[in-house]
Amino acid sequence: MPPPPEALSYTLQPLATLSPPSNSRTWQSAPHPNLPLVGTACSDRTVRVYSLTSFTLLHTITGGHKRSVRSVSWKPGVKGQSVLATGSFDASAGIWRRDERGLEEQDYTRRRIGGDGDEGEEEEDDDYQFSCILDGHESEIKSLSWSPSGQYLATCSRDKSVWIWEELEDDNFETIAVLQEHDGDVKCVAWHPEEDLLASASYDDTVRLYREDADDWVQVALLDGHKMTVWWVEFEGSWMTRKDFRAHRDGLTEEQTRHVELSERSGPRLATCSDDCTVRIWHREPKEGTGRASTNTGIPSIIRSMAVDEDWVQEVVLPQRHERAIYSVSWSQKTGMIVSAGSDGKILVYKERWKTQTPNGASVGDEDTRMVENSQLTEWVVVAELFSAHDVFEINHVCWAARSDKGRRSEDEEVILSTGDDGEVKVWVLNELNIGELKGK
Amino acid sequence: MSDIQQYLLDYDKNRKEASAVAQQSATRLQNHDLKLLTLIEELGEYLNSEDGPIRSKTMSYLAEVLALVPQKVLSTQQRNLLCDFILSRIEDSEGLGSCARALLALEELGKWDNEKVVKIMDTFLAHTHPLRQYKQQSERYPVLRLIDTIMAKYRDALRISHDSTPDFMTRFISYFDGEKDPRNLMVVFSILRVPMTEWNIGADAQELFDAVFNYFPITFRPPPDDPYGITAQDLKDRLRDCIASTSDFAPYAFPALLDKLDSTSMNTKRDVLQTIAAAVVEYGPRTVSLYSITLWDSLKFEILNVQEEDLAQEALTGLAAVARTLSQGTSGPLNAYLRPIMKECNEHLEDAPTKQSQASAQILHKIAGVSPEVSNILLAGVLPNLFLLFQTADTMAKRRGLLEVLVQLIRANIGVYGDWRSVGRAGEQAPTNALIQSRDQTLEVMLHGLENAPTKEVSFRLVCLDGLLQLTKARQLLSDDDIGRIIQVFHAIIIHEDPHGKDEVKEAAINGLVEIAHQKPQVVVDKAFPAFMAQLPDVDVDQSNDYITALEAFAKLGSEEDIFDTVILRLKNKFSSAVKQGSSSTYIVALLSAILYALKKGAAKLEQTADVSPYYQDIVLPLLQRASSSDDSHPKAFDDETTLDLVGRICNIIIRPQSIKEQNDVAAELHTLFRDAPLTDFPPFYTESTPEQNKLMIVSTHLLSSLRKDTTLPCGVQPLILALVVYSQRSDLSSTVRAASLRQISLLINKFIPTPILKTCMNPLLNSPVDLFVPEKLDPLRIRIIFACLKGLLLRNSTSLTTLYPQLLSFLSHSQYGITVAHGFAGLLQPDDLLTKQNHCQISGLHKQKTFTLLVPNIVQAFRDASPESKPNYLIALSGVLKWMPFEIVVEEVGQLVPLLLQSLDLKGEDLVTEAAIGTLTSILQERPKTIEEHAGSLISRLLANSTTGGKETPGPPPKVRVEALRCLTQVPEKLKQEVVLPYRRQVCKRLTKALDDRKREVRWQAVRCRTKWLDVDEVGDDD
Amino acid sequence: MELDKDNANPTILNPSDLPSRHRESAARKREDGGTGLFHDLIPQYNYLSDPFDHPVSASDSDDDSVEDIDEQEIYDLISSISDPEHPLSLGSLAVVNLPDIHILPPTSPYSSISTVLVEVTPTITHCSLATVIGLGVRVRLEQALPPRFRVDVRIKKGTHSTDEAVNKQLGDKERVAAALENGTLMGVLRKMLSTCE
Repeated sequence: MPPPPEALSYTLQPLATLSPPSNSRTWQSAPHPNLPLVGTACSDRTVRVYSLTSFTLLHTITGGHKRSVRSVSWKPGVKGQSVLATGSFDASAGIWRRDERGLEEQDYTRRRIGGDGDEGEEEEDDDYQFSCILDGHESEIKSLSWSPSGQYLATCSRDKSVWIWEELEDDNFETIAVLQEHDGDVKCVAWHPEEDLLASASYDDTVRLYREDADDWVQVALLDGHKMTVWWVEFEGSWMTRKDFRAHRDGLTEEQTRHVELSERSGPRLATCSDDCTVRIWHREPKEGTGRASTNTGIPSIIRSMAVDEDWVQEVVLPQRHERAIYSVSWSQKTGMIVSAGSDGKILVYKERWKTQTPNGASVGDEDTRMVENSQLTEWVVVAELFSAHDVFEINHVCWAARSDKGRRSEDEEVILSTGDDGEVKVWVLNELNIGELKGK
Repeated sequence: MSDIQQYLLDYDKNRKEASAVAQQSATRLQNHDLKLLTLIEELGEYLNSEDGPIRSKTMSYLAEVLALVPQKVLSTQQRNLLCDFILSRIEDSEGLGSCARALLALEELGKWDNEKVVKIMDTFLAHTHPLRQYKQQSERYPVLRLIDTIMAKYRDALRISHDSTPDFMTRFISYFDGEKDPRNLMVVFSILRVPMTEWNIGADAQELFDAVFNYFPITFRPPPDDPYGITAQDLKDRLRDCIASTSDFAPYAFPALLDKLDSTSMNTKRDVLQTIAAAVVEYGPRTVSLYSITLWDSLKFEILNVQEEDLAQEALTGLAAVARTLSQGTSGPLNAYLRPIMKECNEHLEDAPTKQSQASAQILHKIAGVSPEVSNILLAGVLPNLFLLFQTADTMAKRRGLLEVLVQLIRANIGVYGDWRSVGRAGEQAPTNALIQSRDQTLEVMLHGLENAPTKEVSFRLVCLDGLLQLTKARQLLSDDDIGRIIQVFHAIIIHEDPHGKDEVKEAAINGLVEIAHQKPQVVVDKAFPAFMAQLPDVDVDQSNDYITALEAFAKLGSEEDIFDTVILRLKNKFSSAVKQGSSSTYIVALLSAILYALKKGAAKLEQTADVSPYYQDIVLPLLQRASSSDDSHPKAFDDETTLDLVGRICNIIIRPQSIKEQNDVAAELHTLFRDAPLTDFPPFYTESTPEQNKLMIVSTHLLSSLRKDTTLPCGVQPLILALVVYSQRSDLSSTVRAASLRQISLLINKFIPTPILKTCMNPLLNSPVDLFVPEKLDPLRIRIIFACLKGLLLRNSTSLTTLYPQLLSFLSHSQYGITVAHGFAGLLQPDDLLTKQNHCQISGLHKQKTFTLLVPNIVQAFRDASPESKPNYLIALSGVLKWMPFEIVVEEVGQLVPLLLQSLDLKGEDLVTEAAIGTLTSILQERPKTIEEHAGSLISRLLANSTTGGKETPGPPPKVRVEALRCLTQVPEKLKQEVVLPYRRQVCKRLTKALDDRKREVRWQAVRCRTKWLDVDEVGDDD
Repeated sequence: MELDKDNANPTILNPSDLPSRHRESAARKREDGGTGLFHDLIPQYNYLSDPFDHPVSASDSDDDSVEDIDEQEIYDLISSISDPEHPLSLGSLAVVNLPDIHILPPTSPYSSISTVLVEVTPTITHCSLATVIGLGVRVRLEQALPPRFRVDVRIKKGTHSTDEAVNKQLGDKERVAAALENGTLMGVLRKMLSTCE
C-alpha cells in the first residue's frame, strides 16, 4: 500500500513474521535484555518465545496460567539464565527460569523440531521451568515490569492496585508495597531507567508516579491530561540527550543549549498513549538549586532532604494521526524515535527535531506536524506511517528491539516488533528515504 | 403321609409341587375322599407348632386348598365353620396373609351376611391394627385386597358399623397408616375412596383427608423391571381422585393445596394445579363458590407471571373449571367469581400491550369458552371498558394489545356458539349471544382499523384482519351484507395495496378469503368473484401484469371445495376470451398456470368425482385442439414449449382419474392429437416432422403419463419404443423435445410392458439392431437413451438390472464418454414428476435399495482399481447415486464410503458433485458420527477449503457449495466427541473469519452459525 | 415468583412490526408484484431438465454480485439475542433498533477498517443489566462480523442513569476479553446468545 502523500522521511518495511503465529490473539511482546529472543504473551494461556535471528518459535511456555497471559517481562541483569515474569488474567503472576549458559553459540533453527511448535510439544529439560507463582491480586493482572536493577517487580491489576514485589533470594518474593491510588483498572506499569521511580497508567484516565519515602512507597506525582483510559506508559531511555538529535551541540543557540541542560537535569521523559487517540510526552521540572545528582557519577540517588513530591508537566502532544484507541507507545533507546500503534491497525513513527533546523521549513506548522505547544524549541514530526500493518486486525503492542538477523546493517540497528489480534508478531525495519526518493514523489 | 405333610415338605423345595398337593387335596375334598373335618384336624399339630414359619405355611396350605375348591363343595355351615376357624387364627402373628387369602377364597365360594362381615372387619381391626406392623408386603397385600373386596361387595355392612360405632372410622383410617408400598397404596386409596364418596363422614372428614393428603405430592419411580406395572401416574390419579372425592374435604384441601402451590418444584406445582382442577369439578357449585375468589387470587399468578408455559395452561384449566362448576349453580356466585377477574383484566388492559395484558387475554379466552352465560357476562364486563380504552389509546401498539384481547373473546364465543357450519358446545338452544350487542361497534372498529391504519402497522392490521375473519365465522352473528363488506376490504388489500415487508397482511387476507369461502361460499362467489374478474382483463392490451396478484388469489380460492367448480369455470372462460382476443403469451401462460394450480388444489376432489368428463370436454379437448391446430385458433403462446408443458400438465391431471374406457379415446390420439391424419404423419414416426410438430411431443408425453397401463396404445409398444429411440437421436431436436421423447421411452418401458414379455421387448434395444450397450457405439445421445431405459426399469425393480448395471459401470472407464456416463448417474434416482404412482407407473418400494446394492459396492471396488484419470468418474457416479438415496440404505456401506466422499470434495469444477458429497457426509455425520471420527482432520480441512471463495483467478466453489460446506462443518462440533474437535477449534474459528466476509449474505449467515458452534467448543475446566 | 426483576412487565413489540429485509423470504420476490404462487407448479426436478445439459458447475450466475453487510444484517444478528431477565428478544423489547445501528466506512483510502456503531436502549433507565446486554451485543458482533469491522456498542444517550460508565466498560477491549474468560459471566452470555439463529 502506498504511503499517504505526505513528506515522510522513512518507510517501514516488513522484515519477517515470527512463525508459526499463534492461532489466537497475542497481547504483548518483550525483547530479551541481552539475548536475541522475544517473549510474546498469548490469549491461549501460553507465552511463545521466538528467536530474533531465525524469526522462528523456540519455546511455548504452557501450563502455568488458567487464563490469557496478558503481559511478560524479562528480568534484567541476570547472568547465565533467563528469568521471565508472566502476568495473567487468572490474577496471578508467574516466574520462569531457563539455563542459558553457552546459548550464544546455539543455532535456534536447528532446535525447531516438528513444524508448528505447539502446546506441550517441547519437553526437553532445557525448556523454561516454572519456578514460582505470585498471588495477591483480586482480578486480572494487566501488566508487569522489572525495575532496571532487577531488584523489584511491579504488577498492576483490574483490582485498581499496583503491587511492588522484592525478590529477597531466588524465588522468595515479598510484597513491599500495595499502592491503591487509582480509581480504576491499572493498565500499565513502567520503571524509570535510572531511579527507583515507578509509573502507572489507568482506566481512571490518569498516570501516577511513586517512589520510596522513608521505606514507604508513596505517590509522588499525578499526571492528568488524557481524556480517556491511558493504555501505556514508558520512560525515555537513559541520557538520550547524548544519543539523539541533541547529541552534537556545536552551532546550537543559547536557548537550545539551555534546553539541553534543562532536559539533562530533569532526566528521562515519559510517554503515554490513550483511548483519546493522543500520545503525550511529559517531563519533570528540575528542582531549583539542585543539579542532577547523577550527572557526575552516573549513579542514581535521591536527595532525601527534599520533599519527595515531583512536578511532572505535559511537554507536548504528538501529531494526532490515530483514529482509534492507541494501545502502545515506545521510545527507541538508540535514536529517541517514538513508535505508536493501536486499534486502527496503523503503526506511526515520530521523530523529534529542532524547530528552526527543519530541513524542510514548509512542513513546520502544516497539518501533520502542527505543534501543540508552540513555545517549544523542538517539534515532533511523523516520519513514517503504515496502514493495516496487521491486515485488518488491531495492534496491541509495539516496541523496539536490537536487530540481530544476518541482514543486520549496523551494530546498533533496531527493528520494530508489532503484536496483533491476528496472533502474529511482525518485525519491521525502518528505511530512511534519501532526498531523491522524497523528490520522486 | 398326609397332604399337609407333603405340602410342608415340598413348600420350600418347590412351590409348584406344593400347589399340586393343595390341588390334590381340593380334588379329594370334591370327591369326598377327604373330609373337611379330617383336613382341619390334620392341620392341628402344625398350627400348634412352636415354629412360626410352619404355622404360616400351614395356613397358606389351607388358603390354597380353599382357593382351588370348586363352588358347592362346601356347605354354608362348613364355610361358616371355616370362617370362624380362620378368624381365630388371626391373633397368631404368623400367616396373616394366608388367612386373608383363605377368607377371600371363602368369600368366592359363597356370600357372607352383614354381621359376619362386621365380625371379620372388627377382628382385623382388633388384632392386626395398625397393619404396618406386618413388615412383609406379601402379608399386608391380601388383607388390603380382602378389605377392598368387602368394601366393594358389603359396603352397607361397614357403613352401618361406621354409623353405629363412634370410633370405627378413626380405627379404620389409622389401620392403613404408614403404608408405603405402591401396590398396596393403590388398594388403600380405592378402599378409602368408598367412605369418602358414599358415607356421611362429617366429623371424620379431616382425618380421612389427612390420611390420603399425607402422600401428596406423591413421587414414585418404578424399578426398571417393575412386574406390577404401576406407574407414578397411576398413584397420582388415584390420590387425586381421593382428594377430589368429596366436598367435605374442601376446607382442608384448598388451603393445603394452595400452600403447596408456592413450592419451587415444577412437578409439585403441576400436581397441585391438576388436583385443584379435579377437585373443583367434583366439589360442586355450593362448595366451590366459597373458595372461588381465593383460588383466583392464587392461580392467576401462574398465568400473569408465567414461569412454565404448561403450568400456566394448567392454571387456566383450573380457573375455567371453577367457572364451569359455578355456572351449574345460581348466577350469584358465578358473578361474584367473575367480577374480580374482569376487574383485574381490565386493569391490565390499561397498559397493554404487555406480558400481563396478553395473559389477561388468555384468561378471558379460556374462561369465556366455558359456557354461554360466562361468555356473555365477560363480554358485558370487558368490552365497554375495552372500547373506551381503545378510543383513548395513544399508541398503535396499545390499540393492538386491546384488539388482541377482543379477538380472543370472539374466538371463545365461536367455541361456545359455533360457526356457520356447526353448532357450538352450547347447542341449539343457547341463550342469545351477548356479542350481538357489541357486534356493530366491533365490526366498525376493526374495519376502520384495517382500512385506515398505515401499511407499516403490520401487526395491528393483522389483528384487525384476524378479528374480522373470526366475526365472519361466528354463528348467526353477521349479516351476509356485513360479511360482504369484510370480503371487499380483504379483496381491496389483496388487489390494490403495494407490497410491504413480508406482505403478511396480503397473505392473511387471501387465506382469510379462503376461510370465509369455507363458511359462506355463496357470499364469496357473489361479492369477491366479480371483483376479481374485474381485475382480469379479457385481453391485456397494455402488457401490464398487475392482474397477477388477483389471479393468484383467485386461483387459491379453488382450494375451497364448495367453490372449486366456479373458480375453474371462471378461469376457463377468462382463458378462452383471452385467447380469442389475442392476448399476450405471458397473460395466457398466467391463466393456464392459474387453472393448473386450482386443479392441483382440487385434485383430491377430482379423484373422488366419479365423472370428470365435464372437465375433459370443457378443458382438455379444447386445449388439445388449440395446441395441435395450425389455424388461427392456435394462439401464439402455444408455440412456446413451456406453455405446451402447462397444457400437458392440465390435461394429465384431468385424464389421470378417468376410466380405461374413457382413456382409450385419448390413447388412440396419443401422437395424432385429434388431427385426423395417420400416425405416420407425426413424430416419432414421421422422420421429416417440423419443429411445430416436434414440440407437441411435450403434450403427448403428458398424455402418455396420465394413461392407465391397460389402455390400448395407437400401436404396438415395441415399434413405438424403437421409433422413439431413433427419433430421440435426431440432431434437430430441442433439448426439451428430446427430453420429452426420452421420457416417453421410460414411461412405455415402465408401464406398458408386462413383466413376462419384458425381456423379449427389450431385446432389440440391448442387442442388434440398437446395441445400446456396445462400447464402440457409445455417444451422448445413446447414453441418454440408456439412462431413459434404466429409469423405466429400475422403478419397477426389473431383474434385468443385474446384467445392465455392470455394463453401465464398465462405461465409467470409457476414455471418451466415461465422464458423460458418470454424470448420468445423478438422474437415475432423481425424483421424477411423470413416473409416479398417480400416473399409474410401477414403482417398487425397494427400487432404491436394489439400485444401491447393485451399484455402490461395485463402484467402491472399481474405484480402487481404476486408473488415476478415470477415478473422478467413479466419484461423480457415486455421489450421483447417493444424492437421492435415503440414508437408512446408505448407512450399510458408510464405512467404506467416507474416504471416497472426502476425495469428491477435492474434485475441481464438479460443484454439483461436491455439493452432493457434502450432503451425504452431513447425513453420515448426523446418523453415524463414529464412522467419521478417524477422518475428522481431513473432513474439517476440506470443508474449510470449500467454504471460502478463492482469489480473483481461482473463483472457488459457488455460494450453494459454500453454504452446504459450512452447514456440514456446523454439525462437526455437535456430533463428534469434544476431544476429537477441540484441537481444531482455534484454527477453524480463525479460518472461518474469511467466510464471515463472504460476498453472499446466505453464506455469511451460515458461517456465523458455524463459527458460533465452534466457539462454544470450550476447553474443559476453565470456569471458576 | 419473578417480582425481583428490574422490570417485570416490559412493553413488547410484535414480531411483525420488527424491521425485516424486504422479501427476505425472497427467491419468491418477483417484479410483477405476484408472490410467485405458480412457481412450484413445475417441480424443481422436472422431466424436461436434461441431467447432461446441467452446467457442470452449480455456480449461481449472480455469484459475483456482492451483497454488502448492511445495518439490517447487523440488526438481524443482534435482535435475536434474548434479554437476560425476560424470555424475549432484544428486538421485541426494542432494546436494539434498526435506526440506532450505523456502519461507518473506512476513513481513509489506505484503510479497509469499517466501524459498526450500535446504540442500545435499556428497558428502563436503571436497568442493572445494561452492561451485560451491551456486552452480549458486542460479543455477538465480534463473533459474527469479519475482523475488518470495529464494533462500538454504546448505551443510547439519556436512556440510562450511568450510561457514560457503561459505555467506557463496553469500549474497553481488555475488559471484554477478560469477561469472555470468566466462566460464570460467559454462562449468562451463552444463554442470551443461544436464541440467535
